[in-house]
Amino acid sequence: MLRLSFSTFAQRWPLFAGAILTVCLGVGLVQSSLLILISAATGGYVEAITLLAITLAVSVFLAVFIVSSTFAFTVAQRRKDLALLRLVGGSRKQLRRLLLSEALLLGLIGTAIGVPIGVALMDVQTWLLGTLGFVPGGFDPAWLDWILGVSAGIGVGVAVAGVLAASKRAAAVRPLEALRDTGSAAKVMTGTRWFFGLLFLAGTVALVIVASFAGPVAAIPLTVNSALTAAVALSALSPLVVPLLGRLLGLALRGSALGRLAQANLTDGVRRSASTAAPLLVLVALLLGQSGVMASIGEATEREQRRNLVGDLVVTGQGAPGAGLAETPGVASVATRFDVPITVTTRTVDDGEVETETEDDAALAIDPETYALANPAMASDGALAELSGDTVVVGDDSGFAAGDTITVAIKGVESGERTMRVAGVLPPALDSPYVVIAAESVPADVAATLPSYSIVKLAEGTSPEAVASAIEQRGLGQVSPLGDWIGAQAVKQQDVSTGIMTVILGLSGLYALIAVVNAVVIAAAERKREFAIARLSGLSRPQVVRTALVESLAVTVIGLVLGGVAAAGTWAGIGMATHRILGEAVVVVPWALLGIVVAGAFAVVTVTSVLTSLSATRPRPISLAGAGE
Amino acid sequence: MSAAVGTEPVAPVGSAAIELRGASKDYGPKRERVRALDNVSVACGRGSWTAVMGPSGSGKSTLLHCAAGLEQLSSGQVHLAGKDITGASDRELTELRRRDIGFVFQNFNLVASLTAEQNVALPLKLAGVRVPASQVREVLASVGLADRRKHRPRELSGGQQQRVAIARAMVMRPKVLFADEPTGALDSNSARQVLRLLRNMVEGAGQTIVMVTHDPAAAASADSVLFLSDGRIVDHAVAPTAREVADRLASLEG
Repeated sequence: MLRLSFSTFAQRWPLFAGAILTVCLGVGLVQSSLLILISAATGGYVEAITLLAITLAVSVFLAVFIVSSTFAFTVAQRRKDLALLRLVGGSRKQLRRLLLSEALLLGLIGTAIGVPIGVALMDVQTWLLGTLGFVPGGFDPAWLDWILGVSAGIGVGVAVAGVLAASKRAAAVRPLEALRDTGSAAKVMTGTRWFFGLLFLAGTVALVIVASFAGPVAAIPLTVNSALTAAVALSALSPLVVPLLGRLLGLALRGSALGRLAQANLTDGVRRSASTAAPLLVLVALLLGQSGVMASIGEATEREQRRNLVGDLVVTGQGAPGAGLAETPGVASVATRFDVPITVTTRTVDDGEVETETEDDAALAIDPETYALANPAMASDGALAELSGDTVVVGDDSGFAAGDTITVAIKGVESGERTMRVAGVLPPALDSPYVVIAAESVPADVAATLPSYSIVKLAEGTSPEAVASAIEQRGLGQVSPLGDWIGAQAVKQQDVSTGIMTVILGLSGLYALIAVVNAVVIAAAERKREFAIARLSGLSRPQVVRTALVESLAVTVIGLVLGGVAAAGTWAGIGMATHRILGEAVVVVPWALLGIVVAGAFAVVTVTSVLTSLSATRPRPISLAGAGE
Repeated sequence: MSAAVGTEPVAPVGSAAIELRGASKDYGPKRERVRALDNVSVACGRGSWTAVMGPSGSGKSTLLHCAAGLEQLSSGQVHLAGKDITGASDRELTELRRRDIGFVFQNFNLVASLTAEQNVALPLKLAGVRVPASQVREVLASVGLADRRKHRPRELSGGQQQRVAIARAMVMRPKVLFADEPTGALDSNSARQVLRLLRNMVEGAGQTIVMVTHDPAAAASADSVLFLSDGRIVDHAVAPTAREVADRLASLEG
């Protein structure tokens, strides 16, 4: 039986090469992300762990999604061949065994190529993380032998799992279908599609609702998840949309024979159309969803700062500004804040054993009385006033409640950790600190090494410019108007967000893009005979290429629209979250990125479609049309 | 005209290789039901070659598909090689396709990626039958393709491809061969060659052939010819000439 597989490989190499490509890139990406995550975790690069965990989750998701959908597609494309085997005495079991052993073989080949690719990708990812400052320069992720097992599990396991459901369907093919001209007579909207489509749709709605109640820190992973589940749901349900779009296309190209042909092909090849749209859908959902969420959080945070902070100037310096600042003529009040690196130790009792966990974090160190003047919103419910040298107050999504105790150690302080009582919980805010400690808790020698920001309120009738130059002349620090400072902070945050996006989606996005190209190539390569018949019916070669292009572009529209819908779902989540915290829904649609994605998708699909259909129409049509294959 | 009892070649039950009794087949949903086969009873004796003719849409192919167990009858019964296969399970039908029946079709239906030799050996492989490679070669040689065994279908002419398909059907020595327009895509020389091979199967190995065809010359090679119209058997001729077949067909189509 495997001889049949081998000879089929030779015959339909674009189909199988495409399947192998998706496996090896998926394996490489997962392997690299996992190794880097493990090295970062064991090396104590705490800041990078969450980020890398999301990166790994996205890679695993994409590998599973793309490999399994590609494999299922390759099985669906071979319906007629399989029916022929049934006709000459093949049993259902034999067909399933054939398809599964093929998947096993392709998975193994993909894994074998994917492992070295993973090693190369690890260098790329490490370089990316280092360049963007998420890990220090010397970070060198270690190779672990057991990773080979994981890679093989991803490569072979996902390939076989992807084929499992498809092979069951394919084995049910009736022998008679070998005699019919179209091999894809099977029902596309299967029960499985309905089940997973609706299940993941429900999951998406749940995630969006949860995200709307979570703080901005938790919102990012939650919205990434909701973009993923929405992508699964919509791609499972996409065959429902294809005929609808086909009809729209028919309206748009009314009167043109080529348009009508393209519409008919689109609707006739629903499975092909849906499969081609799937990777694009995921790419768009992830990219637009996540960047929209990050931009919205950034924008909302900036608005919150502008609303909440009261003052005229911000003085940036190192250590406490000292009495000099407050005594500068024209200065009415000064509120200074430090970001203090701390470790928080939590002990949980589990089965009688005490488990200790230490986490790196940053505390906001302030003087509660003066800071309340600069940020009255933070002080609005009185919790801030409870802050003293022996207590802390916490942000509303920190997980602590008033009356808890928290064990904190300020980095660089010899005396070590202190256990303090949580005196209060701050009102919800986007820019909510994890822990706030009193400035007096920070020893002066440690404070002197930390950057500080002082929000300065001016006495009435004084000129900000004059005071600013006076402060700078005294060498107390760099001065900028409050509004400018908030804007600059937002820009800085935007850079960090872009970095995060690049880490999470850089390579995964590239993988999805390759999968888009792959899907277009596979789809066209499988249609040589159909193209040949179209030419024998009087279409010229350029007309065939144009018809195929119209179809590909229509499929692109499906991918973009459904991906956009998935992204919009996540934007809705962030809109609800900002409305809850800020009182107004802030949703920033990343128009620039949207434009790039749309233009890029059309460009990539156009080039791929034209090249592959040119190549598929190169042989003289009669040599393909008559062959019965 | 009802069921044309007088003209049916009904052989005594038991000696027939294939027998349909009161076979009807409907297509489509209730309201717009199309009756493709209408209460057809027919039996083909062992070692006979029956041609089925009729205008397009007369139900020829449906008759063949139902007789071979590729489609389920709406009512009536099919007996094949002494077994009632009317409601047979997929497993039983698979077994049947492996052991008892073979197919030859107008568009050859060879596996494009396999060589001629591999195509012929495919049913053996699927049935798990071990045979020496020499036997496969002998079968190919018997259809005159000894020197083409390493060629793939697209490297062969239509006539050669059809002979590979016949070799594939012969290799399992099936009791019944179903042929749907086996000469439909061939030039007259190749067609004659194919018909000679089919005659050898009947005479030499005592196999039974049921063949749907449009071609009066092909039909005249058979032992008897059934004429179908609107899903019913309307005529029957034993050992007619091509001219007689053409005349009867013309009267049906006219």
